[in-house]
Amino acid sequence: MSEASVIHDIGYQRYTGRRLGRTAVFSAIYVHGIRAAFGLGRSAKSKIFPWLVAGIVLLVAVIVAAVRSQTGVVVFNYIQFADSMSWLVIFFVAIIAPELVSRDMRSGVLPLYFSRPLRAADYIGAKFVALASAVWLLLGVPQLVMFVGAAFTTKTGMKGVWNELGDLLPGWAYSLLWAVVFASISLLIASLTGKRAFAAAGIVATFLMTTPVVGVLSILPSSTAQHLAGLASPMSLISGIGTWLIPSANAGFPVDRFGPVYGIEAFTLIAGCLLLLLARYRKVASL
Amino acid sequence: MSIIATQNLTKTYGGRVTALSDLTVAVEPGVIGLVGANGAGKSTFIKIMLGLIAPTGGSLRVFDLDPTVETDKVRARVGYMPENDSLPPDVSASEFVTHLGRISGLPRTAARERASEALRHVGLYEERYRQIGGYSTGMKQRVKLAQALVHDPDLLLLDEPTNGMDPAGRDSMLALVQRIGTEFGISVVVCSHLLGEVEQICDSLIAIEGGRLLRADRISAMTTASDVLAVEVSEGTEELAAALKEIGLEVTQDGRLLLVPLTDEATYDRILHVVADLDLPLHRLDQRRHRVAELFAQRETADV
Amino acid sequence: MSTLELQNVSRWYGNVVAVNDISLNLGPGVTGLLGPNGAGKTTVLHMMAGFLNPSRGTVTIDGKPTWRNPAVYRDLGLVNEREAVHGFLTAYEFVLASAKMHKLPDAPGAARRALELVEMTDAQDRRIETYSKGMRQRTRVAAALVHAPQVLLLDEPFNGMDPRQRMHMMTLLHSLGDQGHTILFSSHILEEVEQVSGTVQVIVAGRLAASGDYRKIRRLMTNRPHVFAVQSSDDRQLAVALIGETSVSGVEIANTGLTVRAADYGSFTRALPRIALDRGIRLRKLLPSDESLESVFSYLLEA
Repeated sequence: MSEASVIHDIGYQRYTGRRLGRTAVFSAIYVHGIRAAFGLGRSAKSKIFPWLVAGIVLLVAVIVAAVRSQTGVVVFNYIQFADSMSWLVIFFVAIIAPELVSRDMRSGVLPLYFSRPLRAADYIGAKFVALASAVWLLLGVPQLVMFVGAAFTTKTGMKGVWNELGDLLPGWAYSLLWAVVFASISLLIASLTGKRAFAAAGIVATFLMTTPVVGVLSILPSSTAQHLAGLASPMSLISGIGTWLIPSANAGFPVDRFGPVYGIEAFTLIAGCLLLLLARYRKVASL
Repeated sequence: MSIIATQNLTKTYGGRVTALSDLTVAVEPGVIGLVGANGAGKSTFIKIMLGLIAPTGGSLRVFDLDPTVETDKVRARVGYMPENDSLPPDVSASEFVTHLGRISGLPRTAARERASEALRHVGLYEERYRQIGGYSTGMKQRVKLAQALVHDPDLLLLDEPTNGMDPAGRDSMLALVQRIGTEFGISVVVCSHLLGEVEQICDSLIAIEGGRLLRADRISAMTTASDVLAVEVSEGTEELAAALKEIGLEVTQDGRLLLVPLTDEATYDRILHVVADLDLPLHRLDQRRHRVAELFAQRETADV
Repeated sequence: MSTLELQNVSRWYGNVVAVNDISLNLGPGVTGLLGPNGAGKTTVLHMMAGFLNPSRGTVTIDGKPTWRNPAVYRDLGLVNEREAVHGFLTAYEFVLASAKMHKLPDAPGAARRALELVEMTDAQDRRIETYSKGMRQRTRVAAALVHAPQVLLLDEPFNGMDPRQRMHMMTLLHSLGDQGHTILFSSHILEEVEQVSGTVQVIVAGRLAASGDYRKIRRLMTNRPHVFAVQSSDDRQLAVALIGETSVSGVEIANTGLTVRAADYGSFTRALPRIALDRGIRLRKLLPSDESLESVFSYLLEA
C-alpha cells in the first residue's frame, strides 16, 4: 500500500509560542557572559588566559591546603588568600571586562540588541553579574579546595569541620566583595572604549596608579591619615573592610575605628560605577 | 488599520537642528519605501519608531502603541536591519541569530529552530556554521535580515538592505524582501536611495525632505501612465519622425525615442502603419509612465 | 580631446590577479566602469591615475604613460572613493589648495570657476564639516577639476547619495562630457550607470567582458533571443501569428500580455508591425524586457 504524495509546506511559519519576559532575557545575557568569560563555546585561544589564571590561583590553593594538611601551618587563611591573589584578579578582569563589553561596542551589535525589548539596565546588569560571578568563582572555588583540604585533615572531627566552615563562609563573602568591586570598576573603564587592548591597559593602569598613593599616605605622620590611607586604592579598601568586619582574619590593613568609612566608600564606589555604566549605556543604546 | 501613524511629528536636537518637522503620515500594511536625504530625517524616524528617542512634538504610533511608553511591546513586534556593519566577526551566523532570538524573549529551543528557519529563508545554508568574519557583503546583509525575522515581527524596518551588494546579490535581496512583504504577511519599510528599487518592490512611498514630508502615496499613483506614447525604431528615427509629422502627429524627439501625444486609440494604428510602410524595425512602443524620480527633479536647491 | 588607453594591462599581487589582460580605449564623453564587487574596477582606476603600475602592459594618456609621470596630472583629475576632507576648511580653501598644488597661475580664479561648475558658489565659504554628503562630494569634484583636466576619473561617486544629490552629480558629469572631457566613473549600481551613460566598460573577475553602448552589446549577443513584452487588442491571435514566424523562437501568454522570444532581432522587429496590421490587431505595447543594463550585465556575468 503506497502513501499519497504530497508537497509539504515549509514556507514561513509565524510564531505563536511563548515569549519570555525580562528574567529570561537577563539570564540569556548572563549565561552568555559567563561563557564568554571562560571562553566556553569559543575558540581555544580565548580559553587560554582565563583558565591559566584560574589554574594558578587553584594551584596556590592546593599548595596551601597541602602544606596545612602536612604541617598544620596555615600559610594563608581564606581572607589573606584572596588578598594575595589581588594582582591575578586585576589581570583577569582587565582581560575579561573588555571581552564582555568593549567587543560589543566595537562590532557595532548594540543597535541589534537595543532594537529588542531589552533595557539598558538589564544588558549592563547581566554583564555585571556575569563578571562578578566569574571573579567570585575564580576566588571561591580555590577557597573551597582549601576548605576541603582542611576538613579532611582536621583533628577535631565534626567540630573542626564546622569551625572551618565558619571561616570559609566569611571568606566567600570577602571574595564576593572583591568580585563586586572589581567587576564594577573594570566594566566602567572597559565601557569607555571599543578597543580591548586600550581597555585592558586602562584597567591595569587604574589599579597600578592607586597603589603608590596608599603607600605615600600610610607613612604620613598623622595616624588618621595612616588609617585612612587604604581608601585610595580598591585593594586596600577591600582589605580594610576585611579588617573591620572580620578582625580575626588579620587582613593586613589597620583601620582602627574607621571601618565604617571604608564600608561607606566601598558602597559608594560600587553604586557610583554602576550608575555611571547605566548612564553610559542609556546614551549608547540610542542607535 | 495603519501600522504606523504620525501626527505633526517633530524632533529637534538641542533646539537648533530640526530633524523632523510636522510630519503627518499614515502607513498601510504592505511594502513601503522611505526615501529622502541623507542623515537626520530617516534615521530619526526609525529611532522614534523603536522608542530610542522621544519626539519633541506631535506623536507617532506603531500598531497603535506609543513607542516611548510601551517600548517593549513595540520592539517585540518590530524587526530592525541596520545599515552599517553590526555583526561580530567571531561567532557563526547560526549562533548569533539564535542568541538574538533569545534576547527577543524566545525560549531556547524555539530560538534555535526559528534561527535555523530564518537563515534558510534568507538563503544561508552551510555557510551559517562558519564565522561571520569570513562572509561576503551579501551574506552579512542576509544575516542582518535573518536576525530581524527570527522573533516573527509584524513589521520590518530595513535600512538600505542592498547596501554594498553587487547586482546579482541586490536582485536576490529585493526578491526576498518582496516575498516577505507579500507571502510572509509581514509589512516592510525599506529605506533606500535607489528609486528604481523602490519602484520595483514597494507598494507605497514616503518621501522626506529636510525633515518635512515631500510626498506620501501609493507607487501606482506616482507611476501612472501619461498620455504620451514613446516610439523607438532601431534605425531610421529621422525618417520616422518626418513621416509621422506628415500625417499630422506632433512629434518630440528625446534621444532615440519619439514622443507622440496619445490623442485617441487610433494613434496606435496610425503610428504602426507608418512604421510598416517604411519597413522600419520597431523596437519599442509604449505609453510613458511617470517615475518616482520626478518627485525630486522638481525643485532645485543649492543646498543639496 | 584626450584619449586614455590601456594596452594588454595586467596587474597581480602575488597569486592574486586583480586585472587580467585588459585593453581599452576611452575618448570624450562619459563612460561607466562596471563590475561586481572585487572585479578590479578600483585597481584599473588607480592604474589610470598613475598610483599603481601595471604588472604588464601600458596605461597611457595621449600616448604618455601615467606611471611615474607627474606631468600627467596636468591632464588628469581623480576623485577617490573614500577620502578624508579636512572639515575645518571651507570649500573654497580646499579647492584653492588644490589649485595651488597644481601651480596654476590664477589659483583663486580657477578655484572659483571650479566651484561654480559644481554649483557650490553659495556655500563655498562655509566649513566643509557643515556640508551634506552630496556637497562634500561636489567639493571633491571641484578640487579634481580645478586645473581643467581633460580626463576625470571617479571611483563610486554616487556612493551614499540620495536621489536629488545624484541627479545633480549626473547632470554635472553629463555637461562635462558634452564639453569634450573624457570621464570615467565606476559603480556597481546599475541603475545609476544606466541613467548617466549608455557607454560602459564591463569588468568581471579582472577581465574586460564587454565595451561600448550596452544596447548594442545586447544586440551582439545573438545566441540569446531578445525578449519582448507585447500587449495588443487580441493577444492570442497575435500569438498564433507570431509563432508562425521563423524569427520567433517562443511565445508565452499570460493575462498581462505576451512574452515573445525573438531569435532574429532584425527580422522580428520588422515583421511585427506588418503581422499586426494584416490581422487588424491593434498593437498597444512593445517593450524589450532584457535590454536593460541589468540584463546585459547578468548575461555578461554568465558568459
